[in-house]
Amino acid sequence: MDGTIEFTMGLSEGVAWPWPIAVYLFFAGISGGAMTIALCLRFFKGQTENTPFLKAASIVALGTILLGMVCLVFDLTNPLFFWRILVFYNLNSVMSIGVVALLFYIPLVAALALLALEEEIRDIKALNFLLPIVNALKGIRRPAEMLTLALALAVCAYTGFLISALIRFPLINTSVLPALFVASGLSAGAASAKMIAVGIFKEDLHSSEMKLLHGAEWPIMFFEALFIFMIAVSLMTGNAGAQAAFAAFTEGTWSSVFWVGVVGIGFAGPLLLNFATGKTFSHSSQAFYLSGVCAVTGMMCLRLFILYAGQMYAI
Amino acid sequence: MSEILERRRFLKGVGACSLLMAPLGCTSVKEEEDGINRPHYVMVFDQNKCVGCGDCKGACNKANDLPEGVSKVLLEQQSGRVEGQPCPHCGKMECNCERKFVRVSCQQCKSAPCVSVCPTGAAHKDPKTGVVTMDDSKCAGCKYCITACPYNARFINAKTDVADNCDFCLESKLSKGELPACVQACRYDALIFGDANDPNSYVSRLLAVKDSVRIKAHLGTEPSLRYIPIVKLGV
Repeated sequence: MDGTIEFTMGLSEGVAWPWPIAVYLFFAGISGGAMTIALCLRFFKGQTENTPFLKAASIVALGTILLGMVCLVFDLTNPLFFWRILVFYNLNSVMSIGVVALLFYIPLVAALALLALEEEIRDIKALNFLLPIVNALKGIRRPAEMLTLALALAVCAYTGFLISALIRFPLINTSVLPALFVASGLSAGAASAKMIAVGIFKEDLHSSEMKLLHGAEWPIMFFEALFIFMIAVSLMTGNAGAQAAFAAFTEGTWSSVFWVGVVGIGFAGPLLLNFATGKTFSHSSQAFYLSGVCAVTGMMCLRLFILYAGQMYAI
Repeated sequence: MSEILERRRFLKGVGACSLLMAPLGCTSVKEEEDGINRPHYVMVFDQNKCVGCGDCKGACNKANDLPEGVSKVLLEQQSGRVEGQPCPHCGKMECNCERKFVRVSCQQCKSAPCVSVCPTGAAHKDPKTGVVTMDDSKCAGCKYCITACPYNARFINAKTDVADNCDFCLESKLSKGELPACVQACRYDALIFGDANDPNSYVSRLLAVKDSVRIKAHLGTEPSLRYIPIVKLGV
């Protein structure tokens, strides 16, 4: 006997939070990230017109957060209990604070999407009934944008705080996790909004806006890698529980998801596509889409890895 | 800027602030007030006395109206052997004797992670007894409490579809002045239950003379379940 009494059995089998939660974290991250990048760009460049990137980002942000909500509701033991989370609050709980943030964030994103897509709504006859709402919203556009920027960052960070509150899992219970999720949300959100902007809203692949976004991509990716490295080092040098959890990086299926999905596809993919290929290819639209898909896939793998590997190595 | 506008701005500010602050007061969870005479119910599991008969599990199932075969308490069988020494039970150097038992159930933490993470206040502390229990009508089934519990002592009750934990039979026994069903059912006095805040209670006097341990105490959850570890033979 090594010290005190312990038990290894439990009353619940397997992981309590399965893949729908990872997908929800993924969608919420993309939504917050895309909105943050688009609004920062808008403020930074002092834009007043609806740019293709803003249109794309608002569609992406609205679509992903709604899909995320669907994942969340269907992961409840009984989806019909959903109303309880909206009626009862406990502000000691990260989840409850997140619900408050989302209650403001989702309608605001919907409002900003309506404003950004005004031309498109005008062009499509069937959507013309929305025009009076768009006109009514114009007056509060600026304050709404500022509030949404704050909430978008909050939603990104919230997905990290939500799971970093779980003291049972050393890989998850780290203070760096919210920062990591903000960074990966920003890079995947920017990548998905860029692809939609070029693909659907016909943004020029080499416009000044796109150049600026390409430039911002690498520092964000650097910080993402740095945060993962910090988590790995703190586990490796930590106490017995942390050291056992470090095996997540070296053993089992989830370590392959990490090395192939997160490191290989998410980091090495875009880097190789942009710097290891000829200038003609790296500036082509194939390379653009491919590296965007790589960034998004890498982020999905990161959330899956953190959630599953994290829950497997409990103290 | 005219005085009127200043006032308008002030009023706007007041309105915005109260809108922001209002949700902070609207929490559905009541903070526990510090009563001097509040009980602190504890349970002591004496490993020296438990024979692993499992009567506690059966009593739990019946008292809490749980689905067949389910109970809020489990018994983990462990081997009592020390490497290089004969087995304390059969005396052989190699055997598969697993005759040491550990109670696995909700540890009734004073600082309970399940209570602090629950978004609706469904997992809460009963204000009268301080026992961690469930308000089934508030639980949304998000399973946050199940992932948050460092003891993996919570589960989804298949009958109610919501999270559940051992709450010392709060409703079915304790509120009627009875002992928890498992304590009543134990024929070997391996389970002792009582109020640790009452210096004259049996459990207080027992804990004063017996060494007991708490599981994963370093996590700071302050569990209310105490374990008296088995005493090695020949000591």
